[in-house]
Amino acid sequence: MSEMVGKLFGWVNSRLPISNTFERHLSKHPVPSKVNFWYLFGALASVVLIIQIVSGIWLIMPYSNTEEEAFASIEYIMRDVDYGWIIRYMHTTGASMFFAVVYLHMFRGLLYGSYQKPKELVWIFGCTIYLAMMAEGFLGYVLPYGQMSYWGAQVIISLFGAIPYIGESLELWIRGDYYISGITVSRFFALHVVALPLVLIALVFLHLVALHEVGAGNPEGVDIEEHLDDDGVPLDSVPFFPYKVLNALVGIGVFMTVFAIIMFFFPEGGGYFIEMANFEEANPLVTPEHIAPVWYYSPYYAMLRAVPDKLGGLIVMGSAVAILFVVPWLDKSKVASIRYKGIYSKVALALFGISFITLGYLGTVSVTEVRKTMSVICTIIYFAFFLLMPIYTKYEKTLEVPERL
Amino acid sequence: MIKKQSNILNIKLSKFLVAIGLLISINGIGAAEGGPCKDYGECDEFKYSLNDMASLQRGASTFLNYCYGCHSLQYSRWGRVSSDLQIPEEIFFDNLVFDKSIKPGDLMIGSMSKEQSAQWFGVAPPDLTLVSRVRGDDWIYTYLRAYYEDSSKQYGVNNLVYPGTAMPNVLMALQGNQKLVCKDVPVIAKNGGEKRDDFGNTITKEKCGYLKVDEGSGELNQEEFDSLIYDLTNFLVYVGEPAKAQRERMGWYVIFYFLIFTALSALLYREYHKDYHK
Repeated sequence: MSEMVGKLFGWVNSRLPISNTFERHLSKHPVPSKVNFWYLFGALASVVLIIQIVSGIWLIMPYSNTEEEAFASIEYIMRDVDYGWIIRYMHTTGASMFFAVVYLHMFRGLLYGSYQKPKELVWIFGCTIYLAMMAEGFLGYVLPYGQMSYWGAQVIISLFGAIPYIGESLELWIRGDYYISGITVSRFFALHVVALPLVLIALVFLHLVALHEVGAGNPEGVDIEEHLDDDGVPLDSVPFFPYKVLNALVGIGVFMTVFAIIMFFFPEGGGYFIEMANFEEANPLVTPEHIAPVWYYSPYYAMLRAVPDKLGGLIVMGSAVAILFVVPWLDKSKVASIRYKGIYSKVALALFGISFITLGYLGTVSVTEVRKTMSVICTIIYFAFFLLMPIYTKYEKTLEVPERL
Repeated sequence: MIKKQSNILNIKLSKFLVAIGLLISINGIGAAEGGPCKDYGECDEFKYSLNDMASLQRGASTFLNYCYGCHSLQYSRWGRVSSDLQIPEEIFFDNLVFDKSIKPGDLMIGSMSKEQSAQWFGVAPPDLTLVSRVRGDDWIYTYLRAYYEDSSKQYGVNNLVYPGTAMPNVLMALQGNQKLVCKDVPVIAKNGGEKRDDFGNTITKEKCGYLKVDEGSGELNQEEFDSLIYDLTNFLVYVGEPAKAQRERMGWYVIFYFLIFTALSALLYREYHKDYHK
């Protein structure tokens, strides 16, 4: 029996690089031996991606993408489909958790310089994934066709109308109608379940291929390739499989516990994961008192509102995401990790973190004068962090990076 | 040596920054907006109990007798309610379902046409399947108890939680005649205690806007009425998410599973970890 299996494996293996790939990317792939918990969020992001794809496939089956039935079909899933509520809450919780782990993953990048040479492409693919996720999340939020789906989409799509010359036709082209309707829902459905997932999967693949080409970083910013053993394997490395996989497994266990607590006990996340107004069917005649995006977009929404001009707001919002792409060339520091960077970098990163979180809060509440001023200040800090980076990283005193991990 | 010093500086600095962040967020940006219960002030707190079948059954009965005439529960099915609430189907259909052509699998689509009701009330009574999720249970519990006599309104009543509400006080016969009254309340000093004059008497001030029921004007006393509204709200919480009780039960098992999973993988990881950190 085992001989037959062995033969079959040999047959396949000589035609498909199974053991080669396994060795190259898993059992013999060297990763730094010492990393901290910040290095778990990449693995967690891929876990959530799988959760989203699997739960998404199951949601497609009973969901109806028409104007008349979209909202009712969600309630049908929540009530009449056996364990439909589990699948749906998995997907809604997954959406928020996806952004949570990706934000932490990105912050890790800023913290330990994970974008520095030669990892620029890894970073750029990552930023593109984030961009695709934002689009994916937005499209998905429209599908339940609740009040917030409708009016959120109304706000976002009308932003395109602010673009000079082509704005209005672009808006019409995206909506496929003069107002948001069943046409919009069904095209968003197609994009949400087919087009963008394909893009996302392709990008994740590229992100990982590029990462495996240049090797993973570590919190010290030490180049482990500098010290190799006789076989050419870095001395400060362990094989990815099984060591790092097991490490990740512990992280996944903790993460899934948190996931389950949210999913089973706080699926609405206090109105931040599923907004209360979205339990009301879309009604073009009634504007909700207070339109707020879900928490993961709210920092950008706060920036948008901080600028009095619509087009200006759109430009600020776009630039806030676009600027992430060029970070590898803004950081002029000789060292990668925050541990060895100077005081300016540390203050800058701390202020950046605080302002981003504050913006996130400001984007969920209604506007007052004080809050508007706060948004402006935080937006300025956000951009200053990036725009001044070439200066403060170049002229600060850095510490000596050790030779070994 | 240099590194150590800068570390201490970092810690101080980061604490300082956090403190600034906190100060900023407390000052001003967190300013309160008008609460969801409007003129009533803070909504009364409601704690659902979805495992209290008797309460849910009473709530269902109140709903079907007093509310269902105008308000549908269009995403909910008759049979599901009877089985979830553990009411035998026969008893349920004999006593609570007034249209005999209804089958257990039917949706509870209401008995009044939207067009006609919109004419009668100015606005069609909304479907209430998800009202507990849109408004929250605290809101419903407070709203249904916050009607008061107001002769300037079409139905002679108004509501503190929803000023100008289009719904008449359907439960008035049970609750009695509730009015807005004024009363003397103690003045609260800055330190939180009651203010007293030189003789030790509490200083009071007349404040208005309190709800008071004319005694004996309703079939139920206040306690009974509050408990009726409790059951009704509890039922609306159930109908907003029928799987909620099951979800919260199941959650513990899933969490328990992942805790075991985490513990086992941590043990396995520790074993393998020994390979490279001897």
